[in-house]
Amino acid sequence: MKRSTVFFAMFGFMLAGCSGTTVVLVPDASGKVGKVSVKTKAGEQLLSQAGASTFAGKADKLPTQVEVFDNTKIQDMFGTALANEPAPPLHYTLLFPSGSAELPSDATAQLKTVYQSIQTRNSCDTSVIGHSDRTGDNNTNKGISLQRAESVANVLKMAGLKGDCLDVRYYGENDPAVPTADEVAEPRNRRVEIEVR
Amino acid sequence: MVNLPVFADENYVGMVKTYQPPAAVIHNSVEAAINIGTKLYLGDIVVTKADAAVGIIFMDGSVLSLGPETHFEIVDFLFKPAERNVSFISKVSQGTVAFTSGAIGRISPESVKFITPTSTLGLHGTKVLIEVK
Repeated sequence: MKRSTVFFAMFGFMLAGCSGTTVVLVPDASGKVGKVSVKTKAGEQLLSQAGASTFAGKADKLPTQVEVFDNTKIQDMFGTALANEPAPPLHYTLLFPSGSAELPSDATAQLKTVYQSIQTRNSCDTSVIGHSDRTGDNNTNKGISLQRAESVANVLKMAGLKGDCLDVRYYGENDPAVPTADEVAEPRNRRVEIEVR
Repeated sequence: MVNLPVFADENYVGMVKTYQPPAAVIHNSVEAAINIGTKLYLGDIVVTKADAAVGIIFMDGSVLSLGPETHFEIVDFLFKPAERNVSFISKVSQGTVAFTSGAIGRISPESVKFITPTSTLGLHGTKVLIEVK
């Protein structure tokens, strides 16, 4: 092999950069910055600040010290992925009277908004999830939470949404918005949550 | 007679929302085309080529997008919030990923993990960018 070929091969390798994993923590759509731990066999680096990054070049070496990346650098590395991020899912909550699956009076207007957002996104990917509070036994509450979810799903179907675009679930009292002791009537937990993806 | 898929459709864990070709999904070792609306299942591998990108929203509301020349695998996805039984583990062997965690991360932050050739990422909310070279 000619010396020049070796030189260009090495130069090319250097241009491509070192192999390994770079992790960058960034604010989410709401501006919130979380935390991420990057762990190798040698140890761990915690990122907790916007733009903070670390590089894990080898599985048996420590990840590098934290370096803060600016927007230019982030766009340079992740521009295509960031430009193709789907719009975050939309969330809606409908509250129900105690022990009832009857739609509240303002539900029609709310569900109209939901249906419009499904149309706007051209989405066939919506979850309708029924919940209850902890008054009464959980089996009855599961039944009520299912009926609540079905009441909501039926309105969306009547409006024209195809059934196979809907994922209908019910959790009874097992997934409260506000955790309470048993037998506590909590209006905020008697709800149907809708997620439009 | 039509061959029905062996998996129930409600078992999909995510759906393709944005797509800039070319990319493919490997499902049960068979490569298939990707489009907006393509459903993704546990164990699926999404592979993007040069200049390509794929955006996905998962059943827990987490949002993921893959940049060019990326190899991404859904290793584990369990979303049963009522039983507090949740897990989301992905593997990135190559390429770039932007990820914003959803309900699984809210219920159980230690349950959202990314595996790369050199490291394991534990995501305690909410948005992270990953490049694997």
